[in-house]
Parts: sequence; structure tokens; C-alpha cells
Amino acid sequence: MTDASAPRMVEAFAHPAGSIAVGVPGGAVGWRGSLLNIHTASAASYEMEERAEARCVAGRGIEGDRYYLGSGTYSPKPDTREVTLIEQEALDAINRNDPPLQSGPLHIAPIDHRRNLTVRGVPLNHLVGRRFRVGEVILRGGRLNFPCKYLEELLGQPVYLPLYNRSGLNCGIERGGIIRVGDTIEMVD
Amino acid sequence: MSARLVMKLQVAAAVATTPDVLHLTLVHPRRPELPAWTAGAHVDLRLPDGRVRQYSLCGDPADRGRYEIAIKREEAGRGGSAWAHGNLGVGSVADVSAPRNNFPLAPAARRHILVAGGIGVTPLLAMARTLAADRAEFALHVCARSAADAPLLADVRALCGDRLQVWFADDGRRLDPTRLCDFTVDTHVYACGPRRLTDAVQSALDAQGWPPEQVHVEHFAPLSDETFKPEPFEARIASTGALLHVPADRSLLDVLREHGVSQPASCELGVCGACECGYRDGTVIHRDAVLSVGKRRDRMTPCVSRAQGSVTLDL
Repeated sequence: MTDASAPRMVEAFAHPAGSIAVGVPGGAVGWRGSLLNIHTASAASYEMEERAEARCVAGRGIEGDRYYLGSGTYSPKPDTREVTLIEQEALDAINRNDPPLQSGPLHIAPIDHRRNLTVRGVPLNHLVGRRFRVGEVILRGGRLNFPCKYLEELLGQPVYLPLYNRSGLNCGIERGGIIRVGDTIEMVD
Repeated sequence: MSARLVMKLQVAAAVATTPDVLHLTLVHPRRPELPAWTAGAHVDLRLPDGRVRQYSLCGDPADRGRYEIAIKREEAGRGGSAWAHGNLGVGSVADVSAPRNNFPLAPAARRHILVAGGIGVTPLLAMARTLAADRAEFALHVCARSAADAPLLADVRALCGDRLQVWFADDGRRLDPTRLCDFTVDTHVYACGPRRLTDAVQSALDAQGWPPEQVHVEHFAPLSDETFKPEPFEARIASTGALLHVPADRSLLDVLREHGVSQPASCELGVCGACECGYRDGTVIHRDAVLSVGKRRDRMTPCVSRAQGSVTLDL
């Protein structure tokens, strides 16, 4: 695929959210998390596939993923979505119906939520406008992820409300490279 | 069409059930259970060139481990069935969506009359499996040129026993839809097959005064709307009575915004469902990929969907 056919991405710190957050101090520091799962899908609606490692390309995305290829559901709409992350802790809370927004516990497995990276010990909601590394790759937090009804339809489970405000982080890739399950995640700045 | 997960399933069995019908058994390479479904449901099969074809599931809805479909080779068709016959053998991969049911059994019915023409037997066989397991009263009529041309006939015979009636043209037996069954308020009729058969059943029962909600005919709406040409229409806001003109080149969502009717929105592609709203009277042209068929009766997505003439919005 040539660069001309590459999907249009909004650079993370040029995103309306990221561009504001980058100039506002604050956020947790001193944490150290890890990469639990990597998932990609080749096209919109296709089931996610688990990967042990994947190549991240700066300004573009994860090789083989629908947003790298421009075949994602939201690819026609330029945005920051080179890499998406979600906290395992958020999935754990949903899986125990906490807070009780659902009629009962919902099981959302890492293959289901359609974010690329499932992470533990990483305060994603603090990372808009921040740089952090996953193994050798440096990511920039561009905006908070937002749940969508499309996911609810795909899964056949009422996940929209439970995911609200803990749906993860959309990032741009500042420095590409290989990411592997088990990689350390920590702040760069 | 609302959003459905697409899975790369493996062909576990491929058997010619008649000279021109291929019966496929599909399993997931990693998951022991596939998404649940009910009798009458279909899946989308995605072809390598991006085209999509619908096939009814003909296996047992109680068996979560596999899907079964039967594909008739249509020489005059649009190439989907020829591709499937040429490429789907044991071990090959088929891109298949999670099931959707637009042709369900009526839960309140006490007696079910199933009428199959040729390959149209597929959803009705799944229904017969469910009805047999539930010990419900039913009959299945199978119309075909001959026994050798009737798809899945061995399965149908084994399942239905004397609840099966066959109508083979080569034997000089033709179904007379006017003599299908006596009307009762809790009998439902389901027909699937060539248009001339389903039309004949529909008109015979209409003429006998059957209420339309007791007669179910399966047909697939075309998926692609590449030829869709937007037309202008009028939208009335129920709460204020305001009448808004939506030109052909603008979305209803845009026009609502311009008139200060604030509506949450996100993707504006008809997939996220954020802008969904209610409507009353009016014929809506649904072009989203998120609302279920049931919801479309009174809900619409103004970012991509439109109306014929006019519509009243519950806003």
C-alpha cells in the first residue's frame, strides 16, 4: 500500500483533546505497567485475532490492523486511532458489575472489546497529552476512547453504558517498533 | 443491516446433498461455541471480492458447536454460489457473520405449517428441529422436481417422519396452496422458496382471509445500496410542530443541527447508533448498520437514514 492510500490519521497532540491536555500539567507518575494482550482485526466487524507481537508504524498504526489498512468501521473519518488501549482493571470492574449499571456481571474478554492493547497498571485516563513507552515503542495519548453502540451490536451484550468513561485511550505512534506481550509500559517524560 | 461479528470459520464437512446443492458444516478454529441463534436465522457469507450472500442456517439451533448451510449452485446467479462450490471444501476458510433472524417462529402459535420449495427448505428444517424438540404440532411440505433434487431430504425424512409431505413434480404431485390447512387463530404458516411458490401461498391464504401476521414469507432484502439516490423530504418535529426541509444533498442530522435540535452524534456513518431517535408516521429509508429490524419500526438514525416524502420525529 502506498502512502497515498494510507488512511488519514490525526496526529495525537494535534487532536482537539490531546492538544489541550498537552499543555495542562498533572496526572499520575511513577507507575509501571505491563502489556497483557495484543489484538488486531483485518477488517471492520472481523473477529479480533490474538498476537504475541506486532509491528507499530509511526503515524500509521499496527501492521495488519484495520486502522493501519484503512478498512476499519471508522476509517473514513479522520481521527487519532493508530493504536487503542484499554485497562484490564476496567474490564475486571465490568466483569463484576461494578458499579451496578448492568442487570448482572458481563464478561468482556480481551478478544471482545476491539481495542488493540489490553494493559494492566497503566492509568490510561491520565495519559491524554502525555508520552509513554510500550517496550521500544513510544505512544502519544490523543484522546479518551468512547464506547459505541456498534460494539454493543457486534457483541450482542449491553456494554455501552458500562464502558462509559473507562473505554480506554486512542494513541498515535511517535516512535515505531515491535511490541510484545509482557512489555513494560511507563512514562517517557 | 445491523452490525454483526465476522468470523473466519473452517469447513469441517462439505457434502453434495443433491447434484447442485452443497451442504457445509462450519466450525470455529479456536472457540468451541459459536454465537447462539434461533430457527429461521441466516448468516452472511463474505466472498473474497467483498460481496455478501445470505444463507439460512439449517442445522440444530441447540448445537452451539457448528453452523450448517446449504448452497445451491445458481448458474444464472451473480457468481456467489459458483465461488462457494468451487472453493469451499473441507479445511478451507469461510468468512461468516454471526447469525440474524428475520424469519422467526411465532412464539404464540400452537400449530406451525412449513412450506418449502427446493433450497428454501433450509430455514424450515431448522424450524422443524426446534419444533420437534419442543414437541410442538407442525407439518412440513417439501416441493421439488424429484426426490433426488430435494436438498437435505434424508435429514428431513429422519426428523419429520409422518409430519412430512412431499410434492414431487416428476411424480405428478403438486402442492395446492388453497388446501394447505384449515384456518385457526393459533396456526402460523411459513413459506420459503421460489417467488412463484411463496406468492401462491401468500395469495391463497390472503384469499381465504388469513390475517397477515399469521403468514410468514422469507425474503432477503438487497444489502448493497450503491445505486441509492437521495431524494429531498420533509421532517416534522413532534414536540414543536416545526416542519424542516431536508434537501437531497444534506443529512437529516445536519438539518436538525442547523435548526437547533441538538442530537448526540458520533460516527455519522450509520454505525455507532449515537444519533438514534424515534419516529412516527412516515416511511423511513433505513440506511444504517446498527438498528435491528424490530427497532426500525419506530427508531431511525438521522445521520444516514432518510424518508419518503415526510416523517414525524419524536423529538
